This record gives sequence, structure tokens and C-alpha cells, in this order.
Amino acid sequence: MLETLGNLGLGFSVALSPPILMYAFAGCVVGTLVGVLPGVGPLAGISLLLPATFGLDATRAIVMLAGIYYGAMYGGSTTSILMRIPGEAASVMTCIDGYAMARKGRGGAALAISAVGSYVAGTVSVLGLMFLAPPLAEFALRFGPPEYLALLLFGLLVLAYMSAGSMVKSLAMAAFGLLLGMVGIDQMSGYFRFAYGFVELGDGLGVVPVAVGLFGVAEILATAGKATPPAVIRPRLRELLPSRQEWRESAAPIGRGTVLGFAIGILPGSAHIISSFVSYVVEKRLSRHPERFGQGAVAGVAGPESANNSATSGAFVPMLALGVPSGPIPAVMLAAMMVHGVSPGPMLIQQQPELFWGFIASMYVGNVVLLILNLPLVGVFVNILRVPYPYLYPAILVFCILGVYAVNGSVVDVWIMLAMGLLGWVLRKLDFETAPIVLGLVLAPMIELSLRQSLAMSDGRYAIFVQRPISAVLLAMGLGLVLLNLYSFVRRGLDWRARLALADKGEEA
Amino acid sequence: MRTDRASGVVLALLAAAVLEESWRLGLPLGTLATPGPAYMPAVLAGGLLVAGVLVAALSRSTVTLGEAGWSEWRHTVAILATCAFVALGLERLGYRLTMALACAVLLGAVERRRLLPTLLFAAGLAGGTYFVFDTILRVQLPRGPFGF
Amino acid sequence: MTSRGTRGAFRLAVLVILLALVPLAAHAQEAYPSRPITLVAPFPPGGVADLTARPVAAAMEKVLKNPVAVVNKTGAAGAVGMQFVATSKPDGYTLLLALSSISIIPEADKIFDRTPAFTVDQFAPIALISADPTILVVPADKPWKTAKEFIEDARKRPGQISYSSSGIYGTLHMAMELLSHSAGIKLRHVPHAGAGPALTAILGGHVEALASGPAVVLPHIRSGKLRPLAGWGDKRVAALPEVPTFKELGYPDAEFYIWAGVFAPRGTPEPVLAKLRAATRAAVAEPEFKAAMDKLQTPIALKQGDEFQRFFDTDAKRLAEGVRKVGRVEDKK
Repeated sequence: MLETLGNLGLGFSVALSPPILMYAFAGCVVGTLVGVLPGVGPLAGISLLLPATFGLDATRAIVMLAGIYYGAMYGGSTTSILMRIPGEAASVMTCIDGYAMARKGRGGAALAISAVGSYVAGTVSVLGLMFLAPPLAEFALRFGPPEYLALLLFGLLVLAYMSAGSMVKSLAMAAFGLLLGMVGIDQMSGYFRFAYGFVELGDGLGVVPVAVGLFGVAEILATAGKATPPAVIRPRLRELLPSRQEWRESAAPIGRGTVLGFAIGILPGSAHIISSFVSYVVEKRLSRHPERFGQGAVAGVAGPESANNSATSGAFVPMLALGVPSGPIPAVMLAAMMVHGVSPGPMLIQQQPELFWGFIASMYVGNVVLLILNLPLVGVFVNILRVPYPYLYPAILVFCILGVYAVNGSVVDVWIMLAMGLLGWVLRKLDFETAPIVLGLVLAPMIELSLRQSLAMSDGRYAIFVQRPISAVLLAMGLGLVLLNLYSFVRRGLDWRARLALADKGEEA
Repeated sequence: MRTDRASGVVLALLAAAVLEESWRLGLPLGTLATPGPAYMPAVLAGGLLVAGVLVAALSRSTVTLGEAGWSEWRHTVAILATCAFVALGLERLGYRLTMALACAVLLGAVERRRLLPTLLFAAGLAGGTYFVFDTILRVQLPRGPFGF
Repeated sequence: MTSRGTRGAFRLAVLVILLALVPLAAHAQEAYPSRPITLVAPFPPGGVADLTARPVAAAMEKVLKNPVAVVNKTGAAGAVGMQFVATSKPDGYTLLLALSSISIIPEADKIFDRTPAFTVDQFAPIALISADPTILVVPADKPWKTAKEFIEDARKRPGQISYSSSGIYGTLHMAMELLSHSAGIKLRHVPHAGAGPALTAILGGHVEALASGPAVVLPHIRSGKLRPLAGWGDKRVAALPEVPTFKELGYPDAEFYIWAGVFAPRGTPEPVLAKLRAATRAAVAEPEFKAAMDKLQTPIALKQGDEFQRFFDTDAKRLAEGVRKVGRVEDKK
């Protein structure tokens, strides 16, 4: 403990030295800029800007990348709240209640809450990273395909609870989203599925173009043509900050989101994406006013935004403790270290303490910088809503196309976004929710791969799921949850539709 | 036709089409112990089929398809067409030219703004975003055949 | 939906396009290179291809005194970027930095009767930059101390020992398949979505073996988590001099390299190719380039002209055979 604090002191002496601080600051600014592009989240942000850091020395480069990474994370929620454009898959849930708040004139409050929530989550999860990394990392690695599948089945349960309206309709959308996830090369057999000769579809439909299309573009299509353009919101200074009531409502969700996000984030793979969805559903279930969700519930912004922030720092646990590229973001960070001649791995902490602790310390510094940077910017960003819609929406479209194109340099992604925009517009008219499509698209490939990997590991025996302790416990918990809900459905004598939907659900799982 | 009934039927038809396609594409189904490439799609399409039928059967909507409020369709088509032009032109004409043209069309033709602000806005937005993201941040954006 | 203002805008736009076309004609007959060169890396930033492409581009830029930009065109295990270069104009301004998978993808397409996204003869090889043999690693708590023990155990229990790979027909999968055929053993394949997850799987103890490039697993060998058994090269890996090669152990067909090379589209004029060959030769000799590759712990293995062509052809033939032997996995069950 004392040793850790001493090391952290070393880290801060590195992170707070003026040149390093400057790079951290530059990283935060650049990250925010890129993160504001729809679709460019932390992963795309650091991938795109990685080459720009090749010329720097190792510590500066890593510190700057950490800044970019946090900046992109903060920047992503801005567009979600103000324009209903998810900055990345993890801020899809923020779009729903954040945008509803913005339309009610509480955009400033939503931005401030998400900045503070992200700050709390970022700082607390770095604490967790520092003190818990070694034991947690070993545990995280024990999550193999069977454990992963059990966890993802929980994710499916989340789908069932996500709807605000008709459950059958949202399950239909979930099934549709899961099906969309089947496009692309089958990683187990090499077959091309539903690609129709487009090599670009080999990796499947990207989550980013689908999310930006279904939310951002669909919103523009629905709003731009209205006979009366949407009222220009003129925020007053007094209304920029959250009210005392709103602070109170957001405190608990921020705390829960932080813990939940960190726990999910440490698992290898892309589990961090589902953290914000899980947090949203948890908040909705715990809320005394679940009917407010979707209409601008503060908890619906505070929870998911904190969760996705702490999940991505959680993803660094296996990387820093063991040098394992446990997810896409740590993998890029590891590559960055290799470029600078730092051999990542279990020995990193001993061999390069100033780099390691400098990195940890600059995560704290980055969070503070971003809070200082973002709170005053709330006032600036909110004023975007003053721009008349005929000027605003072409600009938003330009940013959407730019962001979606930049991630992979692929025009096919732009087409996917447009098609999904049209689909999202039609679905809105027909009163369907689109968030389950996005979660389904995220979950489907992971579920399929981990199921088939598990069966490859066990030579086709399903017993593997109950023989391994972690997956057995997870499955038992999931089953318990389902039974509990079935029981309450039956007791409340809820209509038979819900039960049918649940049975339907069981079949999919 | 009520909206729910129509959309339920469409979803069910889509599911059926997926089943038919995975058979037509010759994707092996595999077995329970060794699921093949068509296994999950078949299971999911089955789920969608059931869901679609349920949506149609339990239809609660009172609105017919025609009444769902498609009044802005002209705008929608115009915007989508402009975006399609962008997608086609992006790698052929280059980022700046394509975006400037698209913005000019959206503002000038679709929103009927005056010429001068339209041109200024289009050129400013296309050039500005290119400068910030490509020139400064090195996010590579396509240049046209005229190096532009 | 027209107004006077829009018509004006359209006229202006047309005028702008026409004016912009004028200098294009003058462009054609200039000495190569006269404008920026694009080096396509078909994998995302941070991957082996990207990390090799960046220093190559920087060094070539210095030699050619002309900008060389790396562009990541990713998707479908590299097929998207490779196809992009294969079909681009053979003028020497679009180059490709490819890995071994360039010879695998068209063969896998053939297995499934697909129209290949590209074929290997659509490329003119310029220079081989590096060629790292894969090495076989197992978790340190497994009983096998040598490759011999591993192979004997695998013979006794066919299909029982599992290994992870970067994906079906991926480089790490092919290396294992070449070994299996050479040694007459059968292993259980658990594909993962990329080399990172494959490494995580073996470190977590979910699989029992992995073929991997040396640089990635070295830290884990040094920390005692993984044990190297043998390498796929024709020489031992410099960083692991005590680890034998499969060739030494009597499995001559188990030869596999994760290599990186620069290609141009076939049909690029010979003078341009000659210039590019000279440029890459000078580029790999640059001290900055050597330092960069050193940091990646990847030895430079320059091969050009006929030598590279021969290496490329033998490698492609070996891999094509490997892919054919694997065939369609689903059909065998």
C-alpha cells in the first residue's frame, strides 16, 4: 500500500512535469475534437491518432494517448446528448435520455452530469486499477469462451428489459439486430455469410455505422422535413448547471455505474460495450419512476456514462498487470508501447516504473484536465442548439459521414449508415425502438463465437458450461433471475403476452 | 392495414427470407454439438419469425400505414439522395469538393437559402473540417483527382 | 425545388469542376515520383503490418524525397486492402504492405468456390522486409518439455490437445496445420478473433498450445508463463537460440514465416519498379529504420528481385497446399 503510494508519487512527478503535462493536455484536446465526430469513440480515436505519436519518446507518447483516449470518451457523450448521435456503441443509451433532456432545455445539465459522472468513474476506476490490478487480472484471464457465453446470456436478458413500450416489439427488434450480427465471414468455418460479393462485409456490419444511422441520421430525416422547424433552444446561464434535485438523482447511478462498469470492463474481449446497456437497465429496474426513462431521466444519463468510462479503464487491468492485449483498446496501447521499444508484459512495472506509474498518474491528470476543459465548454456546446436547423443538420450530416468514413476508410460503411438511417426513420414511424437492434448487433457475433469455441474446446459436450465453476455460477444466477421474474409475472397476473415473449426469449438463448 | 400488423408481417417475411437464403447459399447447418455457419442464423431467424408473427397477431396499434405520418418524405428522399451522392463521390471527387457540393445542394436547393450564405457555408464547412481533421490531426481523408 | 439561387450554385459548381480538370492533362508525363505515394496497410493501426509500414514509409520518403503516406484499409482479414491495391492504377503511386496472408486468402476463396477478391499474380513483388518464423509455445504448467514430447503425446491422443489461432485460415492456423501434416498428428483447433485474443486464451489456460510470432510471446516466455518448444524457421530465432527448429527435428515441411513485403500492382512499368526496388533497399539501410525494427524486435530480412519472387512463390505454393489440405472444415464432420 505504502509502496504503491510512493510509486504513485513517482508517477505524479513524471505526469506533472511541464512538458509531460503539456502532452497530456494536448492529448485531451485532440481526443475531445476527434471524439466529437460521430462514431469516433476512444478505440477509433487512438487508432487514428496513434501514428501521430510515433515521433515522440515513449512516456510522452503513452501519456498523450491516454489523454486522447479519455478525451474521445468525453467527446462522445456530447453529440449523443445534443444531437442524438452516438459517439460510439457505448453511448447509444445516452442518446435516449440525454437527447430527451436536451429537447426539454436541460442539455447543459445532461452534459454537466455526464462530465462529472465520467470524472468520478474515471478517477475511481484508476484507483481500482492501481490497487486491485494484480489479483483481478489473474481472475479476468480465467474468463474463457464458456464463461463469456454465460455472461453474454445475461446480456440477452438485458435486451428483454430494455423496452419502454411493447415488449414483443422490442424483442422483435432484438432478434433483428442479432440477425444483422450474422453478416460476414464465419470465424469458425471461413464461410462468407450474406455478404453478396462485398469483401467489405467480411467483418460484418460495423456497430458504428449502424448506431449512427439508426439514431443520428434517422433523427435528421424525421426532423428536417417538419413543416415547422424544431424550436431553437436558447439556454440561459442559470439553466446550464444541474439543479440540486438533478444532482441528487444522479449520485447513486454514478456510483453504481462506476462499480458495474469496472467489473465488466476487466473481462477480456469487447465486454465493455455492454456495460452501458447493463447500467441503463439496472437503473431502470431500481428507479422509483421507471416510466421517466426515455423521457429524459437523469439516471439514464448518469449511470451509462459512468459505466462506459470506468469499463474502458477496467480494460487496462489485464494489460498493465500481465501485459495481455485483453481487448481492442489495450491492444492498440500495447502496440504503441512496442513502437517505442517498451516491451509490454508482466515485467513492465519493474523494468519501466516511471513509464508505468507516469501512465497511471496521467490518467488522473487527464481526468482533471478534461473536467476543467469540459465544464466551461458545456456553455459553448449547448449554444450549438441555437444554430437554425437548416444550417445545423447539413453540418451534422457532414460530421456523421466524416466520422463513419474515417474509422475504416470505407465508403461501404457510409452506405450502411445511410441504409440504417432510412430504416431507423421508418421504424420510428411504426413505433419501434432501435436501441435493441444495436445491442443485438453487438452481442450476436460474441455469443456465436463463444458458444462454438466452447464446443470446440469440449469436443461438442455441453457439460463444459456447468463443469467450469465461473460459468456454472453465472448460468445459475441467470436462471434464478429468469425464474424470479417469471414468478413475479405470474403473481402479478400480468398479461400472457409478456410470458409468451419470455418463452420466445428462452428459445433464442 | 394497421402499422403493427404490417410490420409484423414484414419481419416474419424477412425471417423466412433469411432461412431460405442460408439454405440457398449452401451454408451447412451443423449439428447441436458442432454448430455450423448456418446454425445461429437459423435459430435467430426462427426467433424473428415468432416475434414477427406475435407483433402482427397482438397488434395494438390504431394507426393505419398511410396515417403513420409520412408527410416529410420529400425532404427525406432529398437528404438521402444528397448523402448517396456523397458516398459515390467521396473517393472519386475527393472529400472537400464532394462535401462542399452536398452542402450547397442541401442548403441551396433543399432548404432554399440565399446563394451567398449557402456558398460560404458549404465552402467553409468542407474546407474547415478537412483542415482540422486531415491537415492537423492526420485523419486521412480522400483527395480528388485534382489533388483537392 | 429550384430557385434562382440554386441554379446559380449549380452553374458555379460545374464551372469549378471544369476549371479543376484543366491541370490534370498536364500531369501525365512527369518523372516518377512527382506526387505523394500511398502505402496501403490492410490491417488496423497497431498491427504488425501497420507497425512495419510506418518506418518503411518514413525511410522511403527520405530516399525518394517525396511524401509516402500509410493508409489503413482494413476489413475481411486484410482482403479489403489487398483487393484495393490489386485493382488500383499500376502507376507506382499505390503500394501495398502485405503479410503472409496475401497467399492464403485467394486459396481460401477457391475452397469455397468464391470469385477470389484478388489473386497473387495481380501483384509485382518489390521487396521482402522481414520474415519471422512462428514458434510453438505451451503454458509452462503443461508436462511437455520438448517438441518431441508434445508431438508424441498428440499422436497418442489425436484431436485432444487444443490450440488457439487468429482465425480459420489465418496465419497462426496455417502454421499449426503445416506442422500437423508434417508430423502426422491431429490437434483441436479453437479459432479466435485475432492474434491478441489467441494469446489471451493460452495465457488464461483455455487452450494448450499456440503458434505465434516471437516478438509477441517473448515477454511471456521470459516471465515464465509460456514455454517455447520449437520454431518453424530454417534457422533458430536469434532471441531464442536454445529453441530448435522443426526442420532440425525432422519435420522439413513445417516451415512457416510471418513475413512482411512491399508490393505494387502488376503492370507497373519496369523503370518505376526498379526505382522502388532501389528506394526500399536504401530505406532498410537507414539507421532510423533499423532502430524502429529493433524496437519491434523484428529482424530485417531484405530480399528483392528474383530472390523475393522465388521466396514468394515457394511460400505461396506451400500455403496453397496447406489450405487445400484443411479444406472446408464443416465437410469433414
